[in-house]
Amino acid sequence: MRAKTLLAAATAAMLLIGGCGGPQGQEGSPNGPTQGEKGRITICLLPKQKGIPYFTSCAEGAQEAAKELDVELIYDGPTDGSPEKAAAMVEKWALQGVDAICVSPNDPNVLAPAMKAARQKGVKVITWDADAPSDAREVFVNQATAEQIGTALVDTLVKDMGGKDVKGEVAIITATATAANQNEWIVHIKERLKAYPNLRLGSVVPSNEDQKLAFQAAQDLIKASPDLKGILAISSTAFPGAAEGIKQAGKAGQVQVTGLSTPNDMRAYVKDGTVKSVILWNTKDLGYLTVQVAAQLVRGTFKGTDPTVKAGRLGEKRVEGDNVLLGDILVFTKDNIDQFQF
Amino acid sequence: MRLRGVPGPALVLALLCALATAINPAFLSPRNLTDLMLAAAPTLIAACGLMLVVASGEIDISIGSLLGLCAAVAGTLSSPDRLGLPPSLAVAATLALGLGVGLLNGVLVSLVRVPSIIVTLGMLSVLKGANELLMGGKWITRLPDGLRAWGTGSVLGVPVPIAACAAVVALTWLLANRTAWGRRVFAVGSNADSARLAGIPVGRTKLAAFGLAGLLVALATLVSVPRLSLVDSGVGVGFELLVVTCVVVGGVSIRGGTGTILGVVLGVLLLSSVRTVLIFLQLGESSLYWERAIQGALILAAVMGDAAGRRREARA
Repeated sequence: MRAKTLLAAATAAMLLIGGCGGPQGQEGSPNGPTQGEKGRITICLLPKQKGIPYFTSCAEGAQEAAKELDVELIYDGPTDGSPEKAAAMVEKWALQGVDAICVSPNDPNVLAPAMKAARQKGVKVITWDADAPSDAREVFVNQATAEQIGTALVDTLVKDMGGKDVKGEVAIITATATAANQNEWIVHIKERLKAYPNLRLGSVVPSNEDQKLAFQAAQDLIKASPDLKGILAISSTAFPGAAEGIKQAGKAGQVQVTGLSTPNDMRAYVKDGTVKSVILWNTKDLGYLTVQVAAQLVRGTFKGTDPTVKAGRLGEKRVEGDNVLLGDILVFTKDNIDQFQF
Repeated sequence: MRLRGVPGPALVLALLCALATAINPAFLSPRNLTDLMLAAAPTLIAACGLMLVVASGEIDISIGSLLGLCAAVAGTLSSPDRLGLPPSLAVAATLALGLGVGLLNGVLVSLVRVPSIIVTLGMLSVLKGANELLMGGKWITRLPDGLRAWGTGSVLGVPVPIAACAAVVALTWLLANRTAWGRRVFAVGSNADSARLAGIPVGRTKLAAFGLAGLLVALATLVSVPRLSLVDSGVGVGFELLVVTCVVVGGVSIRGGTGTILGVVLGVLLLSSVRTVLIFLQLGESSLYWERAIQGALILAAVMGDAAGRRREARA
């Protein structure tokens, strides 16, 4: 009997998860979609995970473009980064008949079917921040190519470690084993490391988007390998965690760490010298460009095949194949970090 | 019989440590052992509370969200970027929040008679929502030193998290083994009906277990979150799974009524050292893929041991 009750409770629990796990309070977009009109249009911006500073600052730029272009912007995404929930939101928006959906897929394979279905309904679907298979979207608003990022990470770390003559081991703390962006960066990190024969790649450790795990991983890596000279912490939660780990291990200055994060979240570590460089693109500009591209695709002023796109205050942006390129990577150091507030 | 489940995790733990030490002697360095204990401390503190809830025949899966909300409250109250109130006030508020949420869970379970998995699942969503509201899409930076001391300071040379954890383990052992309430918890968990017939206040016993569990989650927050300089929006995500796993691997029967502190301690040590062991094995890139598989295998092994024990019991 006991087991049966438990089973019933578990089933009910599953139903409850299904019922309340998804996004709520979005029954019909606020002002109603306006498909077919050439006036105000509705664009949905889906981050990998809602509520983290990186995407919040992207959303600020997106809102700016939305105001300029008379766009109703819906910014929403799963707060736990679940790709299944993200796919459910894409399906819902497609049913509501919004004009465009901009997706940053946390797992492209999970998101792709929903994105394809939305395209078949006539919704303009683009990717931003992270890409999906090319038949699931029209264009990809690319903040930087994986090669640019991989190269910048390695070159910056080498510079911070004291130049290319430094011998030793480099480890990577990544997001999750399935994170598409990070996995592609790792390919290019390895490629670039070949240019520095004195360095060798040690462990690649996941942090599962958990700062505490990144903190622990950094400390374990330091203890496990006396040869360790540098860590690449390549997600916005892994970086501050790894920096704190190095700091508390008393290895600041001996083991260098660099990675991708927002200047606000790394400022303290740059100021106290634990971190010499923080790498990122201009997140506000990325959100801004994404909404610009989506709105112009809907209104027909930009076709995915054009060689450039006029992106408001950003000017003309280059289009390479089906990638709209944001442009330069920024490196924040103690000399310039205070000029950036995001 | 109450020792059931202890030998398994102890063996596996010893094996893992021996393997890591053989490949990399630095594993047994005092520094690493301290780090291992520091990492295990918050999980163990929360696991002590959960063990009592599970022993009483209930479950609490809201503890991960509670940890997240406690972190957000402690940070929001004390960070100079937010409210900037004295850290001691933030600490008191955090502990009160943990106790309050735990008691609320307990009231819903024991007085309103809703199954605990439903109550705490609902609570999980509510707390997560409150957390998001409070964080407002930003992380909390610049935790004040007074709060960070809870994670990074030490008392008489012992790091605060380890000292707090040792105290909690000792107190829980006393509560479970040397008090009438402790005996009631196990009685209620093994058979609520006969416990009621024997005159045990079933509802109140469970209520206290939930309250204590909530309070201990708040304490776990205080000794883990301030070890880092900023509170991110993912704090506590998956924590309930980890703690439930530790408790089950530690031999506490999910059916209620049995469980030992020693088992829970071993379960926590085992689960929290897997990552470190993997890094010390220096598997290179493949360590990325092993962690989940190994954790899953440990859970299966523990549950299979539990089932085998039940069969032996049935035959005896």
